[in-house]
Formats: sequence, C-alpha cells, structure tokens
Amino acid sequence: MATQTPAVVMDNGTGYSKLGFAGNDSPSFVFPTAIATKGPGGGGGSAGSGRPAVGNKPSFLTGGAGPTGHLSAKRGTEDLDFFIGDEALTASAGPGYGLSYPIRHGQIENWDQMERFWSNSIFKYLRVEPEDHYFLLTEPPLNPPENRENTAEIMFESFNCAGLYIAVQAVLALAASWTSSKVQDRSLTGTVIDSGEGVTHVIPVAEGYVIGSSIKSIPIAGRDITYFVQSLLRDRGEPDSSLKTAERIKEEFCYVCPDIVKEFARFDREPEDRFKKYEVKHPNGRSVSVDVGYERFLAPEIFFNPEIYSSDFLTPLPTIVDSVIQSSPIDVRRGLYKNIVLSGGSTLYNQFGRRLQRDIRHLVDARIAASEVRAGNAAKSGGLDVQVITHRRQRHGPWFGGSLLGQTPEFRSYCHTKAEYDEIGPSIVRKFALLGGPGST
Amino acid sequence: MLLLDYQNVLIESLLKDRFSPDSTPSSIDQVVSDFDNVTFHISTPNSKTQILISIAVKCYPELVKYGADAVLQREYGPYIVAPEQGYDFSVQVDLENLPAEQEEKDDLIRRISLLKRNAMAAPFEQAFDEYTSLAEQASHYTSETAPQGVREGGEVRAIHYRDQEAIYVKASHDRVTVIFSTVFSDETDRIYGKVFLQEFVDARRRAIQNAPQVLFRNDPPLELQGIPGLQSGKDKIGYITFVLFPRHLTPQRRYEVISHIQTFRDYFHYHIKASKAYIHSRMRKRTADFLQILRRARPEAEEKERKTASGRTFRVQA
Amino acid sequence: MSQSLRPYLSAVRSTLTAALSLSNFASQASERHNVPEIEAKTSPEVVLNPLTVSRNQEERVLVEPSVNSVRVSLRIKQADEIEHILVHKFTRFLTQRAEAFFILRRKPVPGYDISFLITNFHTEEMLKHKLVDFIIQFMEEVDKEISEMKLFLNARARFVAESFLTPFD
Repeated sequence: MATQTPAVVMDNGTGYSKLGFAGNDSPSFVFPTAIATKGPGGGGGSAGSGRPAVGNKPSFLTGGAGPTGHLSAKRGTEDLDFFIGDEALTASAGPGYGLSYPIRHGQIENWDQMERFWSNSIFKYLRVEPEDHYFLLTEPPLNPPENRENTAEIMFESFNCAGLYIAVQAVLALAASWTSSKVQDRSLTGTVIDSGEGVTHVIPVAEGYVIGSSIKSIPIAGRDITYFVQSLLRDRGEPDSSLKTAERIKEEFCYVCPDIVKEFARFDREPEDRFKKYEVKHPNGRSVSVDVGYERFLAPEIFFNPEIYSSDFLTPLPTIVDSVIQSSPIDVRRGLYKNIVLSGGSTLYNQFGRRLQRDIRHLVDARIAASEVRAGNAAKSGGLDVQVITHRRQRHGPWFGGSLLGQTPEFRSYCHTKAEYDEIGPSIVRKFALLGGPGST
Repeated sequence: MLLLDYQNVLIESLLKDRFSPDSTPSSIDQVVSDFDNVTFHISTPNSKTQILISIAVKCYPELVKYGADAVLQREYGPYIVAPEQGYDFSVQVDLENLPAEQEEKDDLIRRISLLKRNAMAAPFEQAFDEYTSLAEQASHYTSETAPQGVREGGEVRAIHYRDQEAIYVKASHDRVTVIFSTVFSDETDRIYGKVFLQEFVDARRRAIQNAPQVLFRNDPPLELQGIPGLQSGKDKIGYITFVLFPRHLTPQRRYEVISHIQTFRDYFHYHIKASKAYIHSRMRKRTADFLQILRRARPEAEEKERKTASGRTFRVQA
Repeated sequence: MSQSLRPYLSAVRSTLTAALSLSNFASQASERHNVPEIEAKTSPEVVLNPLTVSRNQEERVLVEPSVNSVRVSLRIKQADEIEHILVHKFTRFLTQRAEAFFILRRKPVPGYDISFLITNFHTEEMLKHKLVDFIIQFMEEVDKEISEMKLFLNARARFVAESFLTPFD
C-alpha cells in the first residue's frame, strides 16, 4: 500500500465510547455506548454483578432479561433500524425505540447489539472501509479470553478488518502517561487509577501485564461526586439543584484541598475569592444564580474521606492504593510506587495527584519508620520513592495510549491480520505480543 | 442506517460546533479518514479562529485531469488556500469572518463537509456535460449517418480511487455509463456480493422501471476495451455497470445523482457486512436454542453452572 | 416434513439408539488410559462396523460405533455456493463454541460438515434418548436455518438494491 491508512482506535467503555484515528491527540467521537433499537429496550442479560455495581442505573434493572425479540419477527430490515450514541438517547426519548447499553461493567454483554454498534461506528461515524484499516480495540482487565475471541470473530468475519490488536485499558493508560515530562523511562510498570463515571479501579501493571489478583475497585466515582454536590445544594436550598447543574459545578469549580479544616478557615477568611456563583440558563431565557461554596473542595474529598458521603464504604483511596501495591509481588512494588498513573474523567480535579501522592507517601513513610523501630534502629531504609503522574491526556487516557501506540511504525507487526485469522481461527487473539513493551521503541 | 451519508459527519459536527455563536475557539489537530482512501486534516495552524481543512485523495491527479479544479473553484471559491504540505487541496475558514446569516453558515458547513463528494464529482460532471453536447450533435443525424465520434461517444474517464478498484465514466449521445470495478478480498463477501448484485440487476425489471440499468460481469465490459491495467476472468473482481439514461442527466437531477452514485461501492460493501452481522445474530440465537435442547438431556437434579458478570463460571452448591 | 425426510430421520434415530449402548472400557494400548476407542483406533476388535444412512447424494449421516464411543458425522445439504458458505459459517460458529456443547467434535470427519462424539461418560451423565433427540432435532433445524438464512439474504439483497435505485426514480 502506498500510503498507510491510520489505525482506527476504539475504546468502548461502560458509559462512553471513544472513537478516532491513531496519531491524533483526542478521539474524533465520544458518545454514550448506547444503542436504540425498535421495541422495548434493556434486552439481553440480567444485571448480574460480580464487579462492584455501585450506581447501577435503575433503568438497567427494570429492563428485564427478556429475549431480544423472536427470530420470526426479524425477517425484514429491523436490524438496520437503530441508532447509537447521542442519537440513540434522542431516539429513545420518542416512541418506538428502546435503549440498551451493550457493555456492563466494562465487558460486552450483548454481542448482537455490540456488533451493530460497531457497524454503525465504522460506517456512519468513522467512515472507513474496515478492509483498509488496522483496528486497535481495548478491553478491561480480567476480560475472559472467550470475549476476545468473540470480538475477533466479529471484527474479522463480519467486517473483514485488515488487522486487529486488543489492548488492556490499564496498559494503554500507562502508555498515555509517557507524554508527561515527569516520566523518563517509558516503562510499562505502574499502578493505574482509573476513575470513570461508575466505578474506580486500582490496577497494578508489571512489565505490561496486569497483576489480576491485586486489582481493587472502589464504589466511588464521578456519579457519586455529582450526587454529593447535588445533596449539598439541596441542603442549602439553592434555587436550582438539578443533576445537570451539580455536574456543571463539579466540573467547573471543584478541586482537591490539602487539608479540610484549613480550607474551611480560608473560606471564612477570604470569602470573596473563594465563594463563587454559577449562572444557570434555562431554555426559556430566564437564568438563576446558584452559590457555590464548600462543595468546591468537599466533593472530591470523598475519595480521601469517604465517610462524609457513604456509610458503608469507608476506606480512603490512598489506603486502597497502598494495599494494592503491598499485595503485589515484592519485586515490582518499587516500580508500582514510583509510577502511579491517573486516568479517567474523575481524576481531573486540580491538585488531585498531589494530595494522593502526599497521602500515600505518609503511609509508606510511617510503615518504614515502624519497621526501623522494630529492627531496633539497626538498619536504615533508603526510603521509597512515591510518585503520582498527572498528565494532560488523563481524560481519555486509554484512548490516547492507543492512539500513541497505534501510530508507531511497528504497530502493524504486532497485530493479527485477517490472513492469520483465516488460517488459525479465533483462538489466535488469545495471545498478543506486548505493544510498546521492552524491545520496541 | 440504510443509506450512507454523503457528507463527512466529523467535519460537519465540528464546524457546526465552532460556528455557533457561544462556542469558544480552540485549537484542533485531527487527521481523519473517509471512505475510498481519502484523508482529511483539520487543523488550526495559525490561530484558533482559522480552521484549515485539507483533503488528500489517492487519485487527485486524475481528478484534476477531469476538471476538479474548476468544480472546487466553483464550490469553495474565496475559501481556497494553497494546499497544505502532503495534501492535495485545502480550504480555510475564519471564524471571525463568517457569513452573517445562519442560512449561509449552514450552507458553508454543508459545502465543506461535502469536500470529498465535490472533489470526486468532477469526472461525472465532465461526462454529463459531454453527454449534453453529444446529444445536441446527435440530434442532427439519424443513427446511420452519424459520424464516428458521435456514435461511439467520448473517452473513458478512469478514476483509480482505490488500489485495485476504479470507476470508469463514459458519455455517449444517449447515455452516460458508469462502471465500478470492485474486488472481493474474502470468499464470503464474494458470494454474498453475487447475491446482492443479481438483485441490483433484477431490480429494474421488477420494481423500479425508471432506475438506471445495472449490468454485472466478471470480465471487463465492452466499453472498457483498450483501457490498460484491467484485470479480468477471475471471480475475485467484478464490473458493475450503471447506465444512466437521459432522464437521470437533466440539470435539475445531476447533483443528487452524482452524490448518490458515488456512494455505491461503499454502500454495497456496507450492506454485505450488515447482512453478515445479522446472520451472526441469527446463529447466536440458534446456538442458544441448540444448547437448550441439549441441556434437556441432563437429568433435572444436576447441579447448575452459573456465570458471573466477568464471565467466569461457578457451580451452585446443592 | 417432506416425504423422504421422515424415513431418513427415523432410520438415523434407530441406528443411533442401537449404537449408543456404551460401556466403560479402559484402553488396551496404554495403561491407565481411558480414551474413546473410535478416535484412538488402537484396538480394532472393539471398533464396530461404521454405517452410513443417506437420504440422497447430498445428505447423509455416518455413524461409527465402538465399545465406549460413537462418532456421528453429518453432511448437510448444500445445493449451491450460498448454502455452502452458510453451512460452513454456521458449523464453524458452532464448533467455536464446542466447549458448551459437550458432545460436539471440534473438527468434522473429512467429507462431512459437522461431527459429534458421544462417549460412555456422556451417556452416563445424560439421558440417552434425549441425546438422540438432540441430534435428530439438530438435523431438522439446521436445514431449516440454512434455508431461512438464504431466504433472508435474498430478501435483504432485494431490499438493498431497491433502496439504492429508488432515488434515481
């Protein structure tokens, strides 16, 4: 081929799908991983939970586990009549269409819908001929190999895509952090804190491989922060305390403070700098003003002091991160402490990384000091380097990592091609050479 | 989705967003693909308010030969800038210097998002024009007395828009012939494709009398005699001929017809894939049915195997 | 059910029922092994005569019994190229999920489209007559499914062609 076509990078998450081409610094399309089909939605699978299922939308549960329509009813062209993404949300508001989310807890639950979702992503939004492009898809950690095989079956047999690489989201998030100036060696060892809308995962990665046994999840993420902001607004009796307003306030004004008590004091000392106002514009032209106060720093604080929000989950994020690393093999712990990478929209608060780094360092230092005391101060520790990496691509971390790796010249040699698939079959995707690992640039 | 869009959705939504009065200009740098080996580069190289959109088409030299410059000049006139390095054609819009009326803005967005369509339209427009003049000449003769040139029609315009596939456009005095050569990389696609093409051929006879005539064959049609670089014979390649009749070539319908016929190849391949996806879902359903039947063979008291959300299985203790 | 299908299926049913008298049988070739003899073929004396039931040239069933295992191979009707590819796709899709089907063989016997391997362990765990039911039902439905898929493809092709050509009208 004379000119190489850019690889297509698709990161399909539980809430949002990020689609685009390798080499760009942001995805071309970001829209909900939702599909609106004719008839009632919610088909396929019960809302089974093996993963933490915090904030499961009630609509998921009411959808029921009914079969996705009888075959006899699908003779015609109903399978072409559907919408995805934002259009799906619009269509489902009207009559006749039901909304479903084919991905639950990061994993594909409804393959029929996912296949159509991909079909529309490729032909309507990205507008590419899959035969001409290599594809980089993502998967959550601990994805069973059967799911990979099903994905490969769809990508190769239905779409004939030229080549396919499936990468683990956490590993891509690590690769995305290479853009940060703090990262000197491009290693694939580190701890990824991935906090999205529904759930927060702490995932240790050693040399590009996820340490599955040590992964921990926290049922606190973006949606909970929004709810918390909303409850604070309601308590104060603000004129507008809709979820949308809460979300806007969260995104525009919230930050992480070093110390709550001092921050309260500072608010009292300099009220005119600290208290803000947020104008809510109603569609009918009127606008109301909402005061923004302590929730500016209190909302993200639920990561560090969960007791102010939740009564059943009380372990702060830094403690979780520390225990994840402590449960990992001893020879990689140093690397895991040194490279703690943030990913996902809920890690974007100002000073989030710095606070996390400080808290983890406190825990680590305390442990070292204690062990020195136990050893009778005979042996001195050299100390442990704790570093939290904040970088500009955090929001779409896994997608950006994919884009970064997808444009490297050797990317294609890491993919499995259509010819290889035809020869060996779906089991070929059980193994992928590690992209961006040692040996490659 | 039944028909493919003519315009590029990304460019359309991006410009719509930037053109709206309450959006803040910010920098963009995106390289995106479109069908048929077309690459766009949308960027803001100089300032955040100046959006540069460049297009690279594999067969651009051919398009220029068939008059692309004139078509693009007509469509984009004042917005054209010198082509960006590595691209074939560029337009630039300045957000501070937009048309005042909302309608004009929408029109501009529409025109720019149709950049690929317009670039590829040139050979068609030229052929349509040639048809008009040939028809004019031919009206002076009866079919026997017509001089050679008029009877045979004009030259064949070849657009090698993909590596192994091309569009050929040929005008004569009573029709314009558009021939797509298409390659099937996959055995399944080839067989499905044959079914589809047979229906394209039959559709006119059965339902839509006024549609263009469609012909399909595996070796190059007569119109393409003497064109170098044609493959033939094997099942892998097919030639689909659309014969556009005068009723399709009237000035009022030209624009639509050109837009529509351009999407043929991608439409065709899209639907092959969509059918495969549907057949997949049928097979999934049927496999589940078979499993159910097999499960009946197990005695009732059997312990059940259950699945967790992460796909692992475990056994329920009795 | 067409005229020739009923006797065909009932012949397969009786053959299978007769063949499925299996017992536990340890390998005579290697100690402490217990393998399906029909696959291993190490002791010719425990492998019985294979039997073919044919409906016509296109459709037939090969039943290969042995002391502890039976191999059943089906050849599905393929009248043309399209049916051929659909049968190929479908059987591939099924064998891909052979794990869940217990008795499905991952690879068909040469000359056939899909094979099942039933061992004495299967007949001990599952009801024998229901297993026969499954295979018979499978044979019925596979044909139905293939022709339905073919019909779908034709209908879809027609629909797609007409929708593309309509704007020209």
